[in-house]
Amino acid sequence: MSVSSTATEALQEDAPVAALRRTPWWANQRIGLLILVVLLSALFGVLRPAFFNQQLVVFPLLRDIAMFTVVGLAQLSVLSIGHMNLAVGRMAAFSMMITGISYDLWHFTLYSGLLVGLIAGTAIGALAGWVIARTGVNSFVVTLALDFLLLGLIPLVYTALTDNAAFVTKPPGMRELRNYSLADICVGNVCGSPAVPQLAIFAVVAMAVVGWIFTRTRLGRELLMTGSSVRAAELSGIPTARRVIVAHAMSGCLAALAGFMLAISTGSIKATIGAEFMLPSFLGPILGGTLLAGGFVSIWGTLLGTALTTVIRKGLDLLGVGLESLNIYLGLILLVALSTDRIRTVLSERQGVRRR
Amino acid sequence: MTLFQAEKVEKVFPGVRALDRVDLALEAGSVHALLGENGAGKSTLIKVITGLYRPDGGRLLLDGREVSFGSPHESASAGIGVVHQERNLIPGFTVGENILLQKLPTSRGLVDRAAIRSEASRWLAELELDIDPDQPVTELSVAQAQLVEIAKALSIESRVLLLDEPTASITPNESALLFRVVDKLKNDGRAVLFVSHKLEEVFQICDTVTVLRDGASVLSGGALSDLTRDQVVDLMVGRTHEALSLPPRAVDRDVAPILELAGVSTATGHVDVDLAVRPGEIVGLYGLVGAGRSELAKALLGLDRITAGEVRVRGSAVRIRNVRDALRNYKIGYVTENRKEEGVFLEQSVSRNIAVTIWDRLRKALGYVPAKEETSTVATYVEQLGIRIASPAQHAGTLSGGNQQKVSLAKWLAAQTEILIIDEPTVGIDVRTKDAFHTLIWDLAANGLAILLITSDLPEMITLADRVVVMRDHAVQGELPNDHDYDRMSQQVIRLIHAEGTTAA
Amino acid sequence: MRRFARSTEMTLLAICVVFFVFLVIASKGDLVSANSLRVLLQFLAVPVLIGLAQMVVLAVGQLNLAVGAIGGFASAAMGVLMADHGVPVPLALLIGFLLAAAAGLVNGVLVVLTRINGFIVTLATMTVLLGVQYRLVGTRTVDAYPQGLKDFGSFALFGVLPLIFIVALIVAGALSVLLRRTVPGRQLLASGGNPIAARLSGISNDRSVIIAHTLSGAVLGVAAILTVASSPGVNKSIGGDWLLPSFAAPIIGGALLTGGSVVVLGTVLAAFIVRFVDTARAEFSLEPSWVNFVVGAVVLGSVVLGQVRTRRQQRRTVVKAPDATVAGGVS
Repeated sequence: MSVSSTATEALQEDAPVAALRRTPWWANQRIGLLILVVLLSALFGVLRPAFFNQQLVVFPLLRDIAMFTVVGLAQLSVLSIGHMNLAVGRMAAFSMMITGISYDLWHFTLYSGLLVGLIAGTAIGALAGWVIARTGVNSFVVTLALDFLLLGLIPLVYTALTDNAAFVTKPPGMRELRNYSLADICVGNVCGSPAVPQLAIFAVVAMAVVGWIFTRTRLGRELLMTGSSVRAAELSGIPTARRVIVAHAMSGCLAALAGFMLAISTGSIKATIGAEFMLPSFLGPILGGTLLAGGFVSIWGTLLGTALTTVIRKGLDLLGVGLESLNIYLGLILLVALSTDRIRTVLSERQGVRRR
Repeated sequence: MTLFQAEKVEKVFPGVRALDRVDLALEAGSVHALLGENGAGKSTLIKVITGLYRPDGGRLLLDGREVSFGSPHESASAGIGVVHQERNLIPGFTVGENILLQKLPTSRGLVDRAAIRSEASRWLAELELDIDPDQPVTELSVAQAQLVEIAKALSIESRVLLLDEPTASITPNESALLFRVVDKLKNDGRAVLFVSHKLEEVFQICDTVTVLRDGASVLSGGALSDLTRDQVVDLMVGRTHEALSLPPRAVDRDVAPILELAGVSTATGHVDVDLAVRPGEIVGLYGLVGAGRSELAKALLGLDRITAGEVRVRGSAVRIRNVRDALRNYKIGYVTENRKEEGVFLEQSVSRNIAVTIWDRLRKALGYVPAKEETSTVATYVEQLGIRIASPAQHAGTLSGGNQQKVSLAKWLAAQTEILIIDEPTVGIDVRTKDAFHTLIWDLAANGLAILLITSDLPEMITLADRVVVMRDHAVQGELPNDHDYDRMSQQVIRLIHAEGTTAA
Repeated sequence: MRRFARSTEMTLLAICVVFFVFLVIASKGDLVSANSLRVLLQFLAVPVLIGLAQMVVLAVGQLNLAVGAIGGFASAAMGVLMADHGVPVPLALLIGFLLAAAAGLVNGVLVVLTRINGFIVTLATMTVLLGVQYRLVGTRTVDAYPQGLKDFGSFALFGVLPLIFIVALIVAGALSVLLRRTVPGRQLLASGGNPIAARLSGISNDRSVIIAHTLSGAVLGVAAILTVASSPGVNKSIGGDWLLPSFAAPIIGGALLTGGSVVVLGTVLAAFIVRFVDTARAEFSLEPSWVNFVVGAVVLGSVVLGQVRTRRQQRRTVVKAPDATVAGGVS
């Protein structure tokens, strides 16, 4: 439908356009995170030169960052529509259980087992989404209940099928994937860095795919619109119920991938996979600027937020702070980061009011 | 005796002067009506009086002394009771607890249930209401809940009582009970402010009237006995500025309707609604707030159930499942009246707000949306509708109401709809932009769009519509051809809508 | 609403009775022996309290992810004070209790001051407190505290009614009175039920949120005391498995996640049912994970049923809570 020039003329306003206030680069949350990660790495490197040891520190550090980034992306998928997935860890465990079964009983190859796991994760996520969309019960409760269910179900299956609560069959390629770095991938004479684990490739692929979905496709945009306002989305012709299901399915699929990465790096498929996923799954996205209320996600932010927490964890570990009391610092960082963010919002709102 | 007075009260919002030196005086033992069209400033005035907003100018006087309220609680403590338009009862509590919530009686540190019962009974008895104070409020009817709120407003020993559209959601029979209560309050020497859209009620129970128009009081404290209904309507509607002159536009009456409703009944209470819109025609759906117009639109879009009758689009009977279905398969768009919650995504860019309806059409393999086409479509409508933005990346929430409305409309134009349902397009929008919207809507119809225009703004209706369909109580009250003669049309429409005793079959 | 809640509680009571009779029959009468009954009730005290601790914050439309962390941290603090520093038992318990209440207060104040979603705030404090708990006890099991406390923890009236269970019931009763019969309690519920109406009636929603979180902390303080008294020792894993049951009890008990409902009796009864599931599991010597599985299914079932009922009810009535919660909370 085109508008005639008479109407266009009538619709012009002479009020000046308020100049768009661009956030200065230094106030950008992501750049702040990047600087923090670099500064902290440098600090830890100076205090403990071992921090830059490629084999012993950087390699496992990058492997952890890769894995927890994928965990963060799993949470980010549902945060995009303003939902939560409390069962993110247990979905990983469930998918790996299926993968384990495929290796143990059906003798699948490494990657066909991964595929089966991803499908299982997608299915369990879609189930959660379906219950939420269908009943209108909020995502917190549904995923919490699902967490209970899986927490009960998974050990039962393990006890029934395995001797030591772990699947022991290791398909060919599993150990290699765990230890190989980019140095093992060569194009001609040029090889990659030995500090970068091959597992990181999974995270890069996941980031690329999720990033592409949210920035370039109809699906991603519709997810964000649904997160911004469900009612407006419904009235703009977005099938919101289906979007809820898709978001949770994505979350389940990414949780499965993260579970696979954890299984590879620990070398075993067991019932407790993913038990420690919940906190990092929120830390990465939230620190990176993804909104809990939905409508805005940041994939780079998730990587940087995850990197920050993982670097701090590793660095303090090297400095001799007990692994578990690291939690104190992580919790405090989360609080401080969010409080400063809040203060910034309040300040800019005040400025906005004054400008009027 | 004047209990409460507002003198030259002003309230300014960014870009809008919501209240412009408004005067209002409430006398003891008298019921004062506050009238005005949607957006005239009635709610803003109530919010200023109750301390939800701070006035930007003027002063409030209680018993002749200047007062200033920082919160609703302060105005309540000063003796101003309010019954808001929204229900304000606590769902888990009993009637008695709700009435006395502001000051729960205690004995020895515990809430004294016996005292609640007896004291609440006293207020209920004062209003001659037969409601058990121990009853949970969730078991009350709408009208009973309303009366309980009045009891609550009285329980703070208030002498000034503000009733904000108390009859909007109750039946005529229930209103009778309310009016008896209002009468009693008046005889007890209280000052009552009665806000309503329904003129017959106002003439029935009010003594004096203040009429607001575009934020100013065009009549302050006139005696209703000296006024006729037509005079009041004139004051409310006014002719605020030169009438907009629109080029002639003929509707081809022989063309078959593109959208037809035949005997439609819905789950939201519509009974046997007939309606037809032709390509290039603007059909106005007029009625008071609560007449069921937006609900009809939503049922049409599949958001509520249609229980009987038939909807025909381009001649064939259809069952529309949801908005996506309406857009994709029937090219029907709906510009909502609830701009901020349903029309625009406040925290998303203008670009996405406009493009939301076209992704489905633009997408390539794997759902990829080519940025170039998206940007150019958005740019076209930003330019054609004169949307004032610094960049398409700007959030819709930062725009003025008028520009938000343009965005809300732009997405349906971008979607290339052929049938457009436009719901209250100019509520809360300044007069100049209003004219521009009217020109646009007129122009769209001239280009062949079929438009169903829902509005409570009489001048808007008479300026734009080719035919006016009047709705009341979820049924079509009648239909009038529009000759754009303001005086004759407004008389006819108002008569039709306030016709006493007549109800649709 | 209250009548409706009463009916939920009646249903739960009926389920409890039927379940109990079933267990008695299944155990061929063993369950009614003094010893079995004592064990059944002994392990009910703490679940009842953690369910109540969650219910209080749910009542105001918030949630508390830190239930386990607050309880574990307070237990660790008490244990360390008594065993390592020789602090007298009553004083150590009092300090632990106050620490738990203070942790709840901090949660509430943070939610109100920062306006950050309560989920994230309590997630953060949970993380911090878990760290502190570990810092306090490390990998040890602290058990060198006076025998008198352990005696208190295992003492049962008439050999059947454990003292700690009676303490839990007293807390439940006190909480019920507080929420139903005191002005701050009523104001708290009003904030949860309809924050806008509460504000217009001069009630501070912020204050209600802070009170709710503080109460939650205090109840967890009592739970910590009972845990220290009744377990063989205090270690880093105390509280680790509290989070899920804390939600299960009030949700099964009929609490609305949008706030505004008190279901003290419902929460207590739901804790009974969960305990019965566990007893049944032991009776038939099944895997412990069956309990989680069944409880998960029951939680899901009860919210779905609750939603259906609410929808039906909303069609009938006009007074309903708005969608908005006080300050974040469950989104």
